[in-house]
Amino acid sequence: MNSVVSDETLHAFVDGELDVSESEKLIAQMRDEKELAQRVCGIRSLQSMVRLAYAEPPVASGRKRHAASGRVVMQRCAFGCLVLLAGLSGGWALRGLESNAVVAAPSTFPGGYQTVSLGRVADPNRVMLHLDSADPGRMEAALDRAEQLLDEADRQGRTIQLEVVTNSHGINLMRAGVSPHAARIARMTQRHANLHLVACSQTIARFTGQGQKVELLPAAKVAPTAIGEIVTRLQQGWTYVRV
Amino acid sequence: MDYLLRHPNMTMISRLLFGPFRPSIEALRPVLYRIAYAWCHDAALADDLVQDTLSKAWARRAQLRDEASLKAWMVSIMNHCWLDHLRSRRDFDDVEAWEDILESGAESPEACCNREQVIACVRLAVSRLPLGQRQVLTLVDLEEFGYAEVARILDIPVGTVMSRLSRARASLKSLLEPAAQQSAAQPLLRRVK
Repeated sequence: MNSVVSDETLHAFVDGELDVSESEKLIAQMRDEKELAQRVCGIRSLQSMVRLAYAEPPVASGRKRHAASGRVVMQRCAFGCLVLLAGLSGGWALRGLESNAVVAAPSTFPGGYQTVSLGRVADPNRVMLHLDSADPGRMEAALDRAEQLLDEADRQGRTIQLEVVTNSHGINLMRAGVSPHAARIARMTQRHANLHLVACSQTIARFTGQGQKVELLPAAKVAPTAIGEIVTRLQQGWTYVRV
Repeated sequence: MDYLLRHPNMTMISRLLFGPFRPSIEALRPVLYRIAYAWCHDAALADDLVQDTLSKAWARRAQLRDEASLKAWMVSIMNHCWLDHLRSRRDFDDVEAWEDILESGAESPEACCNREQVIACVRLAVSRLPLGQRQVLTLVDLEEFGYAEVARILDIPVGTVMSRLSRARASLKSLLEPAAQQSAAQPLLRRVK
């Protein structure tokens, strides 16, 4: 009976190398021939013993690590260089997108503001304005720009999503008791439900660490990081405008 | 035409930037180490082999066509490293150390029921297999590579994979008979009564 099924076939069966019909035939045969079942069982137990034997191979002692350390340092340097290169080329690529987008939608964003979007054409209906400075002129410009975009969309009957993202000193725009435009922001958010204000929580943590108490205007929400928020929105197809 | 010209470039750039990055190569370190150890049974040498393999894989990452086969590709690189190593030093100074353990294990085969001893016995038996059989056995049993994949990795015909595996398991069986019987006997106990 043993000679009927070769060892090779049984191994192939155990290793899942047989096709379905061959396997089924063998399983049926195993029901009748206990010896065959025993052989399969033997192969399986050998296999599990081999797996057990190498489940936790002994770790090399420290002596060889030193020999490799020079190489490891070189490799890390090489990796660092690659990351740098990726960053630089990423920046270069984004620069291209930026100019493309400006060319693509010059009419939507008048006033010399540069826009960035990952799409071929900047989406005028999903826009984030990024403010990272407490310069009064830029704060005002951010709100002017927001109002202008919202009103324009209203006039044209478009639904626009607008997000003002602030970090660094730009967060002052959204701080209760600090913002010079609290009343205007309250008015704007009341008029436009599609206006969102987002502050960077890392900036808040930094300010708090410096002993400043940071309280945001009721309309403002918090994002883990401003950069993360911007990148996520860009990936979702939003258009980025730095004020 | 423009598309055709641009397309390969973009793939090349994205492969360069997002291809098998260091982390995905590094993540295979434990897998490679297990295989290397099963081949050479020397922790330090296995570590060197893995290190060599990782740097070679990194240097040749552009050659990898299909990222799904990253593991097989790296194992085949390690096979070359291993063969290079064997060629460079033909004396096996560690053999004596292994023979010591071999005897201590062979003296008391019945002791193979305890976990640590089973491990030692199996490692010993595997280390005594001819290299070709050892490689096939470890790739199939430890990493569950298919026969065709093993054939590609080791650059041998599938038929050779099957015959080496068959011989490897036959010799392992005879070397480990007592322990194997013990574990194989369990499901049969019901029948014996």
